[in-house]
Amino acid sequence: MASVKLTNVKKIYDKNVVAVHDFNLEIKDKEFVVFVGPSGCGKSTTLRMIAGLEEISEGTVEIDGEVVNDLQPKDRGIAMVFQNYALYPHMSVYDNIAFSLRLKKVPEDVIYEKVTKAAETLGITEYLMRKPRALSGGQRQRVAIGRAMVRDSKVFLMDEPLSNLDAKLRNQMRAEIILLRQKLDTTFIYVTHDQTEAMTLADRIVIMKDGLIMQVGSPDEVFDMPDNLFVAEFIGAPKMNIVKTELLCENGKYYVTPFGAKIPVDGDKGEILAKKNIKAGPVLLGVRPEHIDLAKEGENAIPCTLVVDEMMGSELHLHVDAEDDGAVSRLIVRVPTIDIGKEERKALVVGAKLYITFSGKAMHLFDPETEKNLLV
Amino acid sequence: MKRQNGTDPAKSSVQRKHKSPKRFFAEIGMLLKEYTDQGYLRLSKLQKFFYKILAFFSKIPAAIVGFFKNIGRYIKNGAVSLVNEFKDIGRTFAQGDWKTKTSFFVMGFGNIARGQVLRGLLFLLFEIVFIVYMITAGGYWLSMLPSLGKQGPTQAYNEILDTYTTTYNDNSFKILLYGVLTIFFIVAFIYTWRLNVKQNKLAEQFLKSGKKLSSDKDDLRSMVDENFYKTLLALPLTGILVFTVMPIVFMILVAFTNYDGAHNGFSNNLFTWVGLDNFNTLLSWQSAGGGQSYSATFGEILAWTLIWAFLATFTNYFLGMFVAMMINKKGIRLKKMWRTILVMTVAIPQFISLLYVSKMFARNGLINLTLKDTLHWISQPLPFWEDPTWARVSVILINVWIGIPYLMLITTGILMNIPADLYESARIDGANAWQQYTKITLPYMLFITGPYLLTSFTGNMNNFNVIYLLTGGAPTNSAASGAAGSVGYTDLLITWLFKITTGAESQYYLASVVGIMVFVVVALISLVVYNVLPSIKNEEDFQ
Amino acid sequence: MSKMKKQHHMGLRALNRVSNSAIYTLLVIISIIWLIPFVFILLQSFRVENTYQVGYVIPHQWGFDNYIKLWNSDFKRWYLNTFIIALAAAVFQTIIVLCMSYTLSRFRFRMRNSLMRFMLILGMFPGMLTMIILYRVLADLGLTQANAVPGLILVSVASSGMGYYVSKGFFDTIPKSLDEAARVDGATRLQVLTKIILPLSKPIVIYTILTAFMGPWGDYVFARYVAFGTSAGYNVAVGMYSWLTNDQIDTMYTTFCAGGVIVALPVTILFLCLQKYYVEGVTGGAVKG
Repeated sequence: MASVKLTNVKKIYDKNVVAVHDFNLEIKDKEFVVFVGPSGCGKSTTLRMIAGLEEISEGTVEIDGEVVNDLQPKDRGIAMVFQNYALYPHMSVYDNIAFSLRLKKVPEDVIYEKVTKAAETLGITEYLMRKPRALSGGQRQRVAIGRAMVRDSKVFLMDEPLSNLDAKLRNQMRAEIILLRQKLDTTFIYVTHDQTEAMTLADRIVIMKDGLIMQVGSPDEVFDMPDNLFVAEFIGAPKMNIVKTELLCENGKYYVTPFGAKIPVDGDKGEILAKKNIKAGPVLLGVRPEHIDLAKEGENAIPCTLVVDEMMGSELHLHVDAEDDGAVSRLIVRVPTIDIGKEERKALVVGAKLYITFSGKAMHLFDPETEKNLLV
Repeated sequence: MKRQNGTDPAKSSVQRKHKSPKRFFAEIGMLLKEYTDQGYLRLSKLQKFFYKILAFFSKIPAAIVGFFKNIGRYIKNGAVSLVNEFKDIGRTFAQGDWKTKTSFFVMGFGNIARGQVLRGLLFLLFEIVFIVYMITAGGYWLSMLPSLGKQGPTQAYNEILDTYTTTYNDNSFKILLYGVLTIFFIVAFIYTWRLNVKQNKLAEQFLKSGKKLSSDKDDLRSMVDENFYKTLLALPLTGILVFTVMPIVFMILVAFTNYDGAHNGFSNNLFTWVGLDNFNTLLSWQSAGGGQSYSATFGEILAWTLIWAFLATFTNYFLGMFVAMMINKKGIRLKKMWRTILVMTVAIPQFISLLYVSKMFARNGLINLTLKDTLHWISQPLPFWEDPTWARVSVILINVWIGIPYLMLITTGILMNIPADLYESARIDGANAWQQYTKITLPYMLFITGPYLLTSFTGNMNNFNVIYLLTGGAPTNSAASGAAGSVGYTDLLITWLFKITTGAESQYYLASVVGIMVFVVVALISLVVYNVLPSIKNEEDFQ
Repeated sequence: MSKMKKQHHMGLRALNRVSNSAIYTLLVIISIIWLIPFVFILLQSFRVENTYQVGYVIPHQWGFDNYIKLWNSDFKRWYLNTFIIALAAAVFQTIIVLCMSYTLSRFRFRMRNSLMRFMLILGMFPGMLTMIILYRVLADLGLTQANAVPGLILVSVASSGMGYYVSKGFFDTIPKSLDEAARVDGATRLQVLTKIILPLSKPIVIYTILTAFMGPWGDYVFARYVAFGTSAGYNVAVGMYSWLTNDQIDTMYTTFCAGGVIVALPVTILFLCLQKYYVEGVTGGAVKG
């Protein structure tokens, strides 16, 4: 149980390839922090620097107030779960979990207590005598977690622990990690490329790209108030629709004009724009698929053509083309199936003409140059 | 209709086949000047082939220029870092405390004074050993190195015994050997001294910033942890340094001396430096000792060495693959038995199998005697080892007998690893067995075994055992044999080298030159092949 | 229609049968060619009537005379010499090769790439070249002629670090995350090696031991150089080679065959028992280059 503090941490390979730029973060005791980002963004490298598996090129990592830069992984009080589980193939499940305790010369009866307790928690008691190759993916994952659990570590590190599992198992294990977290009550740092995992597990999410932190915030914050275009597009599935358009300012009121429509920027957001004294001009408009509604022909309804129709069960994902001055943009609209009548559903064939609309509340506006959120 | 636009695929392919020679090469030339994927894809098969060859050779001048530029850069970087080293040493001395300053003369003093006793003592011990060695022996070897000895053995009449006794004085061989060792030692000392200075500097900085130095216990513990690699490498690298690097350096130096049987540097005449004379001898067209020139002999042997290496490598490769595919074929039973039978030639020591086979095919060996005396099929023994062509062919065929099993083992594993769906998709595309082989099996094999083929080629160039045990180089090539010992038609450079050293005149200097030439040839081939091979990937890709 | 299909099917099967019998024929021929010399050696080792080369294979008179002759010659000494060298090489070479390859596979230290490139270049020099000097060094140390055995062990072990490629290739296939997991679990690098890597490396350890043990049985050139005419320092290859020189072959030919059998038998049995590991090593090594 400890805090983790990273100050100006940098990772430089071969003198000039920078994998992580100037990483600053303070993780509180018992916090669950998720590093998320596309592959190659430096999230795993950062985690491995905390673990002591990669050298820290610059800056300091502190665990519980102590600088650990020069400490070996075993002396940092951490436990780690690896992406491919890294179970020792020649040892039984019991020996795998007991390995770290044996290295510490813990008495065998204490080891027995701890291992069986961990196995019970994870529901793998009946497999204790098996070798890892005789286990399924989910069971191996549990063993890997068990191995980390018995270390009674200050910080629990997980490097893409679920990415080798199939979708169904992944959902199940995700829920179990939430339960585990309640039981262990320790600091977690979790790396994933999957934004859903990040959103469901994290107290705070760290979104990274090209070795830089793009935003740090709670799941709500990063979803509702993305700092920049990258975060906006990365969080949420299907991803946010982005349209290049013009911002108008008439009588102190702001409007956006996508596809010939003129939609007012809603109260709060308009005030923020006014406060920041944003000038009219080109802007990137972002609207999440679930915030777009199907509409009847009307003043601010945008005409478009249905291109692809994906039936997801509880909802429909409609890919539509809308035209603005001859430029065609592809948008995704997410509609709950329950809102669509039988007749309407029948009319949704490829090539059908539709009208869509969205409210000013749902808008995100980004500066086309800096890609920063104008509303923050 | 689209067809009217002249995009009829059949027609355009016909046109492509009948490109005029001018256009044929013009297109290649354009591509060489400026490469585009589309341009390459539109070339005909033959054009692609020519393009690849030309592209390879057109890169060579740039590669050479790049090579020298690189060397220039290395020299420049080296000089810069050397200057920096000196600056750093100066700064360390100027800014260091008295402990550091003393360490410049008494190595390890700073370490001991700061509590790192073990490190300090090791440094100190090394310094003492070095100084004692340099005073007692090193100085002498070093001073004699430029001349390789001044006084050869002298004979004096001993009145009491009434005989001539010989006094041995300088020993060129030992001077060269220990001279080289002394230089190694000096370099090691300079490096250690520098390390000692650096450690003092770091220790000072550490203590100033309030950190603790690692204790002796920490140092010992790190030998099995952070620094475990140093512990692991110490023994192997020492062995390589003493028993490989040092001898190679020594032998390269011998190529610049006149060390031979008549100048053994000890009991008859001293040997001395002769500059590039030996290289001149080997590479000039002057006849040596009545026979043909060394360069002609060298050229002949080199040509046969390359032919041999090529044939030995590829006959084994393709036949081995063929046998592996036969055994691997679905429906063939007793796979394990066939493999075990073949593998016998790997298991049984080569000197038994090769010597026996050599005698079997000898003039009065089993084969000839059976054919002549028992079966009366021939009246004269077949000249397996007497006729140059017969000997060369026999050597290659017997090498197949020795070599196929290795290749069978290697290729079996790889063949089984080729994804089955590649073959399935090829069959759906309508490929027959031969096409499947040439389009899938072979490219896959070549890709994976590319590096192996290279090492096997260079290994065959130096395949002493097969040649020496089978023929000993026979039959003798009397035109080429001369002062450098007898030379045979099946001699490789490596067996020739052996014969030179063991021959009547023991021309070690010539053997050295030949050895260096072998290195140059092997290095050149490796360099070219490495740059062409696709499978030299980043080793991390596998991990 | 269905009839045609059936015929076609039959045709394929028949074709397969023809090609299979062709393969069997070829394999039988190949097997005969591969085994004949060994069968001949065995048969001739029991030949009593003549000791020189003859034009028939099956002895007219069978007996153990050649083996008795072998027993009464220096062969015992040579055999013991070779066995000692092989045993020592198997132990020490294995240790050195494993140290080297494990380090180069697992550690990323500053000079690593330069070191590997340097060794690659070193390997391009013909080893024969260094024989003269190594001989003189061993002579200075008193390790030649009658004392050739320790000398040969020293030389064969000392440079064996250069042959790290095959086992490095094997170590490279063991996921690095196992090392990392063990280090997080509290293992030192030494413990990672002894508790994780070595237990997983049985095939390559056996391969290394096997090749190291087999090497000295066929080592001829340098062994001859070092023993230099002193029978007590010969290994089997040097000693038995001398039996096939022109002045001895007529009296020792069949004895050579008997010696060949005695040398080849244990090595071959050992090899065939451990074949599986040898194949794994050879294949892995070639694939990894």
